[in-house]
Amino acid sequence: MEIIEKIKNQFNDNLTEIQKICLDKLQEIPLPNPKSEQWRLSNRSKFSNFLNYSVNEKNPKFDTPFPNTSQGTIRLVIGDNCQINLIEENYSIKQLSEDKLVKYIKEQISCFEQNENWSDLLNLSLNSTKNTLGLKINGSEIPPIEIFSHASSNSLNAKTLIIFLEKNCDIDLLQVNLGKENSSLSQSTFFCLEENSSVNHGVVSYGENKSNLLNSLNVIQQNNSEYNLGSLHFKFNYARFEIRIKQSAGNAKTNIKGMQITKKDEQISTFTKIDFNGPNGFLDQINKSLADDKSHAIFEGSIIVPKIAQKTDASQLSRNLLLSNLAQIDTKPQLEIIADDVKCKHGATISQLNEEELFYMRTRGITLTEASKLQLSSYFQEIISFIPISKDRWDLLDKLLKEN
Amino acid sequence: MVNENLVKDVVKEPYKYGFVTDIETEKIEKGINENIIRLISQKKEEPKFLLDFRLKAFKKWQKMKEPDWAGLGYKKIDYQDIIYYSAPKQKEKISSLDEVDPKLLETFDKLGIPLTEQKKLTNVAVDAVFDSVSIATTFREELAEHGVIFCSISEAVKNHADLIEKYLGTVVPASDNYFAALNSAVFSDGSFVYIPKGVTCPMDLSSYFRINSGDSGQFERTLIIAEESSSVSYLEGCTAPMFDTNTLHAAVVELIALDDASIKYSTVQNWYAGDEEGIGGIFNFVTKRGKCLGKRSKISWSQVETGSAITWKYPSCLLLGEESVGEFYSVALTNNLQQADTGTKMIHIGPKTKSTIVSKGISAGNSKNSYRGLVKMGAKAKGSRNYSQCDSMLIGDQASANTFPYIKSQQPNSEIEHEASTCRISEDQLFYLQSRGIEFEEAVSMMVSGFCRDVFNQLPMEFAAEADKLLALKLEGSVG
Repeated sequence: MEIIEKIKNQFNDNLTEIQKICLDKLQEIPLPNPKSEQWRLSNRSKFSNFLNYSVNEKNPKFDTPFPNTSQGTIRLVIGDNCQINLIEENYSIKQLSEDKLVKYIKEQISCFEQNENWSDLLNLSLNSTKNTLGLKINGSEIPPIEIFSHASSNSLNAKTLIIFLEKNCDIDLLQVNLGKENSSLSQSTFFCLEENSSVNHGVVSYGENKSNLLNSLNVIQQNNSEYNLGSLHFKFNYARFEIRIKQSAGNAKTNIKGMQITKKDEQISTFTKIDFNGPNGFLDQINKSLADDKSHAIFEGSIIVPKIAQKTDASQLSRNLLLSNLAQIDTKPQLEIIADDVKCKHGATISQLNEEELFYMRTRGITLTEASKLQLSSYFQEIISFIPISKDRWDLLDKLLKEN
Repeated sequence: MVNENLVKDVVKEPYKYGFVTDIETEKIEKGINENIIRLISQKKEEPKFLLDFRLKAFKKWQKMKEPDWAGLGYKKIDYQDIIYYSAPKQKEKISSLDEVDPKLLETFDKLGIPLTEQKKLTNVAVDAVFDSVSIATTFREELAEHGVIFCSISEAVKNHADLIEKYLGTVVPASDNYFAALNSAVFSDGSFVYIPKGVTCPMDLSSYFRINSGDSGQFERTLIIAEESSSVSYLEGCTAPMFDTNTLHAAVVELIALDDASIKYSTVQNWYAGDEEGIGGIFNFVTKRGKCLGKRSKISWSQVETGSAITWKYPSCLLLGEESVGEFYSVALTNNLQQADTGTKMIHIGPKTKSTIVSKGISAGNSKNSYRGLVKMGAKAKGSRNYSQCDSMLIGDQASANTFPYIKSQQPNSEIEHEASTCRISEDQLFYLQSRGIEFEEAVSMMVSGFCRDVFNQLPMEFAAEADKLLALKLEGSVG
């Protein structure tokens, strides 16, 4: 209840319609059910720490460790003065009007399952429209887009992103969530891919000391759409990445490659739910975790194939590296299948760096540290090369290797 | 083109063990309370420690909530509407099988479990449990020569109270879960096995459980202790008559293996599954767990689950001893409206422990078949390994197959591998076999048998034959 009171006080009862709806729903379930599958492993003290910061709608000056070196990229920062209205020959990127935003969000809320979408409910309760960015994109040869969400120290910020990708549209989009020292960031993203559209979506969440993140991503894919997601979460004291993808009529392709890296006493978790709601769906998913020191990495992925989703081809792999005696890893890839003519499989492994490979490299004169780095870089590379835009310019790999 | 319906028809087979034995039984009144528990204990002439154990469990049970996490969706059980003790009336003490009511012997004969001297199964000792009591145990003298104790748990309470007091509830504590607590409070009978140090049990031991009464639950308890360097293979079978009400079966099985000991526990479960509309059938809520206490000890579970309206069962291994080994091989077949939520828990506590999980689920009709398993590497399980494989086969587009593996590791120097896949009997494969002159029915049967081969290979010979027959029965028959 505390969080609800906090929001009400912050906005002095000047709540938007959406905020009111979401707060009403939050009243029924003020906190997520700690016994539910989605929340049972969540560190409770870290989670209450997430909620402890005061609600803040103001954004600090934007600074980023990721330089803007390319001229051809559109960079947007969700916050006070974020505006875009581009109409070019081949394409257009327009901001959604407030009416349309409200209408769409209301539709989404009506489909929410309260415990499962708790992060979204919180996000929409915390956010008046100030920190919401809604885009409608169409056309071809669209330049790559970068969208930033950043937190401010000692506060709880909420950012919402809504993107409509119209028919036959093809984009590269990179979303960056930046944590600040002692901060909490709630990020909710709603993505709608119309027929024949395709997106390479990158999500890089990069925290600082004692930063927290609740990152929720909801994707609806229509016929013949292709959604490729590369994600990386690291340096957060507490982070949750929830991915919900619905292939609304089947015949769509989804590729996901995600990674989370935990150190010190951090906890980072990834939850994915892929719902096939029509035939001929395709999924290829790999999730990697690396846990060191006293940290805890969690992956839970579910694939749901109802009767209607015949000829679904889905695979899910969870690969985990456990590097310390005090760290822990939990993983749960799960399949729920009713259709019979499907190809579904999943796999999971937990181990440490391969000793034989290390030994081989050392016999070739490579030091243990270097050999470990080489192994780690190949482990990271598969995911990083899947994240659009960033891969050539940001040296994410170097950054990660320096940190590990 | 192969008609889809043909495959569905093939998996229909009437239940052959659904008859009721008309025998006079002694039943206590319905319901559960402290007095009922005292009455059961009194009927069984139990020592005080056991009555205390029961009462303590009952108090815990009263505070517990029936679990709903498996999402099995069954009608709420009225625990006050169950008879907790039901026994066929017979002379108080039976000195030989000749004194057992011939109707009971006939029942077991009909089930293919002959108990009479001349017809005894070669080299398998059988403990036959009818409703709440054990009615006969064969080959006792032969086993006694080797120091092996094989008797009903009620007898063990009287004759080997020290062993019962030492081990009962040490693997599955009364507070473990809702159904284990209920069992601890009201358990009626079951089997007790003790294999002394250095003894390899000269024959397979077997328990056969038969529910006869429609309104009583069955709550048996099995305890197997294998001392240092001993080994035993134990088989368990079960059937029940067809009633249109649901009968509760809440058993507890505890296994203890000390240094270098090995226990192989095999089950062929064929309780009545209910009819095509899902009316009737057994609720099979069982807690089975083995503790590999000693170094290099080994516990191997193999199961073929074909019956029960609902199965909720996770035979598990606690791998405490260094280099101890846990194994789980399972085939679960569900049809019509059956629901099976089964799997295992492999808890690696000691160093260099190993576990293997092979689970095969076949779902047909409107049934729901789930694998739910946990593999956990504790912080001290250095050098431990696990390998899990869970395959599902779907027959028809109404059945569901789910896989929920929970994997947890706290030890970097350990390895866990898990893989799962789903398949179906494809038309191409059937066409290929049929084009080679193999009949449709046989082709389906061959493919299912091939799918389950990894598990059948692990069953003892007597059981492998029975299991194969059982699956064949379920898969053959009604193609006209």
